[in-house]
Amino acid sequence: MMEILTASAGSYPRIGSRPEQQRHRQAYAQWERGELSDKGFERIQQEVTREVIDEQVHAGLDVVTDGQVRWYDSISHFARKLEGCEINGLLRFFDTNTYFRQPVVIGKIKRSEPILEEEFIFAKGVSPKPVKPVATGPYTLAKLSINRRGGDLASLVNEFAGVIAQETSALSKAGADLIQIDEPAILKSPKDFQMLEHAIEKIVAEKSGARLLVHTYFGDATPLYNKLVKLPVEVLGFDFTYSPKLPGTIGRLGCEKDLELGLIDGRNTRLENEREVLDVLKKILPNIGSKRVYLTPSCGLGEYLPWEIAFKKLQNVVAIAKKARELI
Amino acid sequence: MHKKLEKLGLELPLLPTTSVGSYPKPPHLIEARRKFVAGRLDAKELPGLEEQATREWVALQEEVELDVFVDGEMYRGDMTTYFARNFEGFRISGLVRSFGNRYYRKPIIVGEVGWREPITVEWWKFTQELTRKPVKGVVTGPYTMMDWSFNEYYSTRREACLALAKALHEEVKALAKAGAKIIQVDEPAISARPEELPEFAIDAMRMVTRGVDAYFINHICYGAFEFIYPGMLELPVDNFDLEMSNSELDLIELFREHPFSKDLSFGVVDVHSHVVEDTTTVEQRIRRALEVLRPEQLWIDPDCGLKTRTRDETVSKLRAIVSATKKVRERLKVS
Repeated sequence: MMEILTASAGSYPRIGSRPEQQRHRQAYAQWERGELSDKGFERIQQEVTREVIDEQVHAGLDVVTDGQVRWYDSISHFARKLEGCEINGLLRFFDTNTYFRQPVVIGKIKRSEPILEEEFIFAKGVSPKPVKPVATGPYTLAKLSINRRGGDLASLVNEFAGVIAQETSALSKAGADLIQIDEPAILKSPKDFQMLEHAIEKIVAEKSGARLLVHTYFGDATPLYNKLVKLPVEVLGFDFTYSPKLPGTIGRLGCEKDLELGLIDGRNTRLENEREVLDVLKKILPNIGSKRVYLTPSCGLGEYLPWEIAFKKLQNVVAIAKKARELI
Repeated sequence: MHKKLEKLGLELPLLPTTSVGSYPKPPHLIEARRKFVAGRLDAKELPGLEEQATREWVALQEEVELDVFVDGEMYRGDMTTYFARNFEGFRISGLVRSFGNRYYRKPIIVGEVGWREPITVEWWKFTQELTRKPVKGVVTGPYTMMDWSFNEYYSTRREACLALAKALHEEVKALAKAGAKIIQVDEPAISARPEELPEFAIDAMRMVTRGVDAYFINHICYGAFEFIYPGMLELPVDNFDLEMSNSELDLIELFREHPFSKDLSFGVVDVHSHVVEDTTTVEQRIRRALEVLRPEQLWIDPDCGLKTRTRDETVSKLRAIVSATKKVRERLKVS
């Protein structure tokens, strides 16, 4: 029997639009100016993480994230804690309206300290629902970095894979049941798929008990679907907003892995009506062998939607999932 | 392209120096805008402060001897939202994160987009009356307006973009009619989806500029030029304003491969850094550009709008630009 669950796909807005919802932004500015201590800022970030989790739970999600409240962006959050990396100027993050600080690789990549573990442990401690940690994948980290130390992309991917393998292993030991690896960059360079494959194998080898989820977004995954389903992971996640053909492809080729279906547009304020999403689900659900299907937004919401809409989107995910359960 | 400028009645020195668009707002204006947003200040109080701040920036531009001025955008918040607020068909969203701790209000297209009345023209006139130097008209481009808005109304990105182009054409016409001879169309998002450049972005720019007698500059910042070069040269403008100092991409190498056929406003100082470039660094960057461009093709300016810097940093960066440019001009005269 297939279970339909709802989940967050990653980040969540830290502030709202009303004056009393500006706390994180104000604290961040004070901390940057040196008017707030690291400890003081950490306390605010913890409070906001707690609120962001409450929001997701309140919307009715089965699986939540910590909202990535502490992340500057999904690339430099990792790179700035690594040996062999420096942080450069801003670059547009794929075709989004957000920017990230680009890492510059100047030496051998090494993880000198844990990156996500503490964030996960805190979130897990305050959440009544399972928390899914999200890590940016080694291929995407390598692809979006500037390589100044020489050597090819494959070896860079391999070194980042070592880092993410250590991260996943630590998260697994800290109690994560499902760990998400984001690999949006592979959709733009499908010819590099083997690099991704090797990287995932390396992570899988060290992941201990947790289930692994590889999530792609910001592009059409249809051409890579055949290869993605062969990855040695338990769950695959997709962004359907670029992919009119993907539901048909999944329906035709089937899937034995669990799926995270990003059918709700995480980057537009328009709220989907139930029927348009259910019509797509009808093409997928009867034709797959997945035990669990997670309905999610197409990507994290933290950088793409205002707080007010993000919450409505999650409520919509929950409402549609309820209807979808009647389908099966 | 200096010929086109002459035809428009503009006499500019070799390597004209200019600014991209925005300057930092003085603290009292920022505070006033904040009070206005919080409902603690009457809207009538703002224009006077904005005019005063504009006068100050005109005076500072005179002082550093820039060749082509901007109004400094004292009256604008976000570049997309400002136009969206003044067009038909938009609503403004709550705060959306841009990066780090930076947020903006993103427009939402909720109906048919339309131009009601001149938006920037009065500010252009106000600024031009304060100086004998030419002042640029500056508008946000249709592709960027589309890409940086939520879209709840049009069924495709193309439709939304072309509707915006039609509305912006009216604004550009009004600027030219008022006397603006140099008009800059800001398109920082133009490379967001490279496949859309030939699909509709070029058409959109053609709709904006068609039949308007002005020297058009297209400002493009953070993005991946290698994906839209040389295709972007098809955009119907006279001058591209590109960032060079904050980009890892070696555009110069790119230009060696495919010669750059338009004029280029060369962004030589980093607007996101507090560090003021010294004259020698800027001079080297200009000389680098002259390896692949004729002096007649080249304008010199900062990477992007300077609104995130302090007043002093801004003035110092502009001084570095002007003094480096003067040195290069001297060398060009000698050789």
